[in-house]
Amino acid sequence: MRDFILKRMIAVILAFIFVYGFYVILHGHISPGGSFAGGIIVSLSFIAFATVYGIDKGKEKLPEKFLVWVESYGTLWYGLMGLVGICKGAPFLANKLAGIDLGVPGTLSSGGLIGLIGFGVGIRVASTMITLFYTLMEGDA
Amino acid sequence: MMTSWTTHLPVFVVILPLFVGFILPTLARRLRLVENLVIAVEVISFVMAAALAVLLFKQNGSPIPYAMGGWPAPWGIRIIADNLGVLFLLVIAIVGLPIALYTKGNLREEVGGRSRTARFYALYLLLMGALAGMAVTNDLFNVFVLVEVATLSACGLVSAHRNPRAAEAAFNYLILATLGSGLVMGSIGFLYITTGHLNMEFAARELAQVWQHSPHVVWMAASFMLTGFGVKAAMFPLHVWLPDAHSMAPTPGSAVLSGLAVKGYLICLLKILYNVFGQTLMRHFTMHHVLTAAGIAAILAGSILALRQDELKRRLAYSTVAQVGYIILGFGFVNQRGLAGSLFYLASHALIKSTLFLTAGAIISATGKTKVSELAGVGRKMPLTMGAFTVASLGLVGIPLFSGFVGKWHLLLGSFESGNFAAAAVILAGSVFCAAYLFPILRNAYFQETPGENWQDPGMAQRAAFVLLSAAIIFFGILPTPLLTLAQRAAADLLFLQ
Amino acid sequence: MTTFLEKLLINYPYVISVILFFIGTLIILTQSNLFKKLLGINVMETATFLMFIAAGNIRGGAVPILSDTNAPYINPLPSALMLTGIVVSISVTAFALALILRLYREYGTVDANEIARLRNGGMEK
Repeated sequence: MRDFILKRMIAVILAFIFVYGFYVILHGHISPGGSFAGGIIVSLSFIAFATVYGIDKGKEKLPEKFLVWVESYGTLWYGLMGLVGICKGAPFLANKLAGIDLGVPGTLSSGGLIGLIGFGVGIRVASTMITLFYTLMEGDA
Repeated sequence: MMTSWTTHLPVFVVILPLFVGFILPTLARRLRLVENLVIAVEVISFVMAAALAVLLFKQNGSPIPYAMGGWPAPWGIRIIADNLGVLFLLVIAIVGLPIALYTKGNLREEVGGRSRTARFYALYLLLMGALAGMAVTNDLFNVFVLVEVATLSACGLVSAHRNPRAAEAAFNYLILATLGSGLVMGSIGFLYITTGHLNMEFAARELAQVWQHSPHVVWMAASFMLTGFGVKAAMFPLHVWLPDAHSMAPTPGSAVLSGLAVKGYLICLLKILYNVFGQTLMRHFTMHHVLTAAGIAAILAGSILALRQDELKRRLAYSTVAQVGYIILGFGFVNQRGLAGSLFYLASHALIKSTLFLTAGAIISATGKTKVSELAGVGRKMPLTMGAFTVASLGLVGIPLFSGFVGKWHLLLGSFESGNFAAAAVILAGSVFCAAYLFPILRNAYFQETPGENWQDPGMAQRAAFVLLSAAIIFFGILPTPLLTLAQRAAADLLFLQ
Repeated sequence: MTTFLEKLLINYPYVISVILFFIGTLIILTQSNLFKKLLGINVMETATFLMFIAAGNIRGGAVPILSDTNAPYINPLPSALMLTGIVVSISVTAFALALILRLYREYGTVDANEIARLRNGGMEK
């Protein structure tokens, strides 16, 4: 696409969509949304970029190898967070029982490990969505 | 310290293959490492399943519960390693290790490039994790999620083959399996609306009290559940996807699909039918008659269809339809002998059918011939491969001293106990049919003229896989007691006998 | 004592979800176009989502987030479950689309009957 307005608009909006996506991911435990919805929003920012600037330019910015890496280790991160409970002598995925200070209800830190787990899931969802987009877009060629 | 680690075993069994599976695609450059990692995971899973079995025997079969995140039962998710679960975990571990060995250095011929092969392994471990989850889960919605994970990775395993026909088979499988999981999810919805619980024990307790207020909804939940899992487990009239999918997949994929994936759905169906609906409701809705009728139809129709196939892998795939019939038949007897026989048959069929598929794959890749009629003289050229095939065939037919016999014997006892002599006759007839479609292959392989071609047994890892599987088939035929005790206790748990 | 029809009218979300479910199933079983089959699956899964969410809803209930309202909270569990269901349905759709692409590249059509005809024709040659 060679549309000047579209390209400038995406360049401006992209950062905001990106940040909003991470906001939704990190506030999953105190407001609507969460890692899945947030991850989709993060991926949308990039899909919009690749749609307007062309898929080759998109692959230059985010190579598929990097996406595979994020996808795999994002999930592993979830597993490691689950193991924190076991290392502290509590069951798998334990949060408060693992001795984590949950703070005041309704604040950002009140989720304990949930925020960290959500971050891993969020980047995983985002990278999976972008991979799917690449896979399906290549069918045109 | 030791005791604290053993308490976490039920959850480690599930998460180890899942999380190792997820990092495999990043290691696509180092395929040897991936292969060894998969074998290591299978060995560790086997050790963990064996440790759980030992723990269970020490406690005389009282289940080992585990609360995820420390939340107690109706609020949190509680997984339970009971007799049924540990039996299935053992089966997964015993069958999974030889399949992983078989794939060593042998997969790229059928699958293609490095990253595709690494993804195949990732899907394989994902399927293993989902199956282990089905063994220990005690929550209705987790059943749905695990079933979906297993279905998607199974479809991925089918479509991993380079042949475009595999993609077509995988698509048909995906569509029908998703139809099945839609039905399962609908059924779980009805159960949740009527009982307000997703935990199986609590749902069962509530269902026993309230089902009379809305019998039609409960009846619909039961029939949706039966049809949904029926599609996924290839219960006879719903088996149309199975022959294509199981014969088009790469060889280790066929082995794991026919040997384990189908069994996972059957275990889920068994858990929900007996643990949630309970035998009273099953008898009220005459579900045991439906199961028995489907089992009889599957044995007869599957065997006859298998007889007519000339392609080796397709013949084995139709044979799976018939053998699933035996297992479902046992579910329908609603007595301890029949259920124990059915569970033991499930275990032995998992061993036997994966042996048959792996050896068939080795024969096909060595000779390049896929038709039964072309395989004259294989037995003399590839003695070890054909030997394992022979052991498995004898086991499937149900010759004494092989594991299939013990399962069939207990199924027969169960059918007499429930007074169903037609089923007993069909069990025996099924064995005859089974001999009719397997023994000609053996006769051709051993007693026909040997052609001049240079066919050979496969490499060391594959030979080790065949030896392990045949040894397991013979071991459980001569010494069935440990597995049979587990199956009998599991049956007693399901029927709430003390 | 309410009549059967009144019961149906009160529980209209369930009625709609059952109708949608069977429309989806019908599309899957009768259409030979692979894309339409996939759309049928999506309709069917949406029907089950609707049923779960209707089961958790209370008319006039409040959002289950910490706030000052006195209205009864709706049940958040079915919505959370359906989020998982939606994720699963997205994976199924994506995987099926990838398979359709592969089939299209191989056979040049997305019609199941056409593909079967091409495949059998190829085998005879």
